Amino acid sequence: MALADLIAQNAVLPALKANSKKQLLQEMSAKAASLTGLPEREIFDVILQRERLGSTGVGNGIAIPHGKMGNLDRIVGVFARLDQPVNFEALDDEPVDLVVLLLAPEGAGADHLKALSRIARVMRDSDLVEKMRATDDAASLYAFLSDSQASNAA
Amino acid sequence: MDSFYLAVMVATALVLLAAFSSLLAFRFGAPLLLLFLGIGLLAGVDGLGIDFSNNGLAYVLGSTALAVILFDSGYGTTLQSFRTAALPSLTLASLGVVLTACLVGLLAMLVLDFTFIEGALLGSIVASTDAAAVFFLLRIGGINIRDKVRSTLEVESGTNDPMAIFLTMALVQLVAAGEGYAGFDFELLILFFEQMGLGFVCGLIGGVIIHFVLKRLNIERGLAPILMLAMALMVFGVTGVLGGSGFLAVYVAGIYAGNRKIPARTTITRFQEGITWLAQIIMFLVLGLLATPSEFLTILLPSVLLGLFLVFIARPLAVWLCLLPFDYTQREMGFIGWVGLRGAVSILLGIVPIIGGLENGQLYFNTVFIIVMMSLVLQGWSIKTVATRLKLIIPPRIGAIDKVELDLPGNANHELLAYRVAAGSPVALGERIPRWAHPSLVIRDGKSMRYQYAGRLQENDHVYLFIAPGYSGLIDRLFASKAPVSESDEAFFGTFQIAPNRPVEEVLQAYGPMSASEAEAEMTVADLIEHRIGGKAHYGDRVRLHNIVLIVVDTDENGRISKVGVSMEPVAPATSLPIFLDLPEIRSRIRTYFAKRKRLRAIRQTSGKPDQKEA
Repeated sequence: MALADLIAQNAVLPALKANSKKQLLQEMSAKAASLTGLPEREIFDVILQRERLGSTGVGNGIAIPHGKMGNLDRIVGVFARLDQPVNFEALDDEPVDLVVLLLAPEGAGADHLKALSRIARVMRDSDLVEKMRATDDAASLYAFLSDSQASNAA
Repeated sequence: MDSFYLAVMVATALVLLAAFSSLLAFRFGAPLLLLFLGIGLLAGVDGLGIDFSNNGLAYVLGSTALAVILFDSGYGTTLQSFRTAALPSLTLASLGVVLTACLVGLLAMLVLDFTFIEGALLGSIVASTDAAAVFFLLRIGGINIRDKVRSTLEVESGTNDPMAIFLTMALVQLVAAGEGYAGFDFELLILFFEQMGLGFVCGLIGGVIIHFVLKRLNIERGLAPILMLAMALMVFGVTGVLGGSGFLAVYVAGIYAGNRKIPARTTITRFQEGITWLAQIIMFLVLGLLATPSEFLTILLPSVLLGLFLVFIARPLAVWLCLLPFDYTQREMGFIGWVGLRGAVSILLGIVPIIGGLENGQLYFNTVFIIVMMSLVLQGWSIKTVATRLKLIIPPRIGAIDKVELDLPGNANHELLAYRVAAGSPVALGERIPRWAHPSLVIRDGKSMRYQYAGRLQENDHVYLFIAPGYSGLIDRLFASKAPVSESDEAFFGTFQIAPNRPVEEVLQAYGPMSASEAEAEMTVADLIEHRIGGKAHYGDRVRLHNIVLIVVDTDENGRISKVGVSMEPVAPATSLPIFLDLPEIRSRIRTYFAKRKRLRAIRQTSGKPDQKEA
């Protein structure tokens, strides 16, 4: 499963501008809302609820906010790259500039977790992350997500 | 008399050689026990020509050595790790041993032309994992493996010896009597429960007595360990005389004595360590001497086949079946399946058919010998690599420390610790030592001074402090150099971190649906972990919550959990091959399979003809 299965081509925000964690999550929730047709506010609340449990900033400038939605029919991801990193209260206190937001249906169970673990593993590839930071072109970013499988075959 | 001196000379020379070989082993990572065995073989009848073929003596020596080793294994097993692993380990030690024995027996029918009972006899001889080998590799091998996995392996290896010994004895008698299957009667079952029951009860009583004697009688410090060892062997002997399993009894007595407060503990522990080494060296040397490698050639092929089968199929399969009802992930089961080291116990049991007067007794012994060597080479050599691959190693929380602990005479409530200040450690960077640790003396460049006048501590200073037992962990941190952080840490500590003071309910919402009782849902994450563990949580402890694992990443100075990681390991298996699947995964695969079929059928019905396309 490449990340492109989770993140559609039109779900890539190549040069998002945000001044805070809150604004960043709002922007990404808005994008997710337009992709799923669910209300933006609901998505934002679910994501924020999860952040209260502990920041999803996993370190090295990467965050993977996520949550579960009642009336969703598939797993939906949004990818964002920021020109200016924002503070995300991450594990290593580093500001964040690469963010993958993941929404899963209420009953997704193991699939939701598999997707999260997959994203985390792909984003641990430092070469790939370097390349993503170096471009603000949506098509190239999507291409990186598409062949994330090949670079992580092990 | 000349021959006596000669015998002493040769015997001590061999022990010395074995002891020196440890230097080699640590340098090359070779399984040390294999080296001991190798030295025995080299000195033996086909090597330097020491003709030792006294099976009876070898058996007596080996059994006594095994009793010493088992007592020490019990002595070093904490009650907490016993509790963590008791049920799965005992399942492995009972059902697992029987399963392995039967599986190996089936193959032996094929390759050695045995009857099933004879095969099962061979199987039970090699069915037990070797306590000595497993303990050695897990403790001294310099790797720190996940608590649950380590405890399971340790308790298993301590408890499956009595089981394998019982089975071997019983089957040798059956084969010798030539009764065939008629021998599997009710009496055998009763005998089993009698042996194990007596072994357990006698062991417990023995443990209580050992503890009582050491605590109440004011015995000369140097004599205490001797007393303990003698009493342990006494428990072994008495239980045997009464008709119980002496091996089980010493192990149980060891667990009891090891978990009680005993005076002169450090002296005893050190002595135990030494005597266990000696017991292992003697056991492997003697068994190596006993073997006649030139006979091996004729049965090499079937033995190698059996060895490969045991390592790659029988043991993993038995482990998987036994651990299914318990919460083990694929990686954990895989590792436990791989670390089924056979060792001296199996070779020792290989003598039993010879002593029991079976006509092809030597065949058993030789076959077993080859199987054990294969297991030691294959599994012993790869244990660290496999553990690293499966990411089961606990990353060190703190760097290396250099400290000496000393027991204080009298019933002092303090122990004396001496630390060397490491470069880059918090104390070297100016952190003060808390007053309750009673920092007393500093030795700098060979000059001693009081802590108050020493000023800032410098690298290589030696600091002496007196602290209450149990608090040394906190001081360790002050004196440790920085812990190296490695790639696998992330895999070990999970993908995300959550706050330990949030309610479990929020975790369920974020990662459910999963099973947790209502009472558990209302707890905080920290409480849930402590509740499941049944005590204080330690660094690296893991609690599985259906599809996720909660990991204790850090604890504060009061021992409360301060950081918790969430790992998705149960759904992110190390391999997608269908091996070592746990129950939820099996259920999920079956469901997916049927859903797929249903979808296919629906497509067929709507299109009116069979459709080959994947849904």
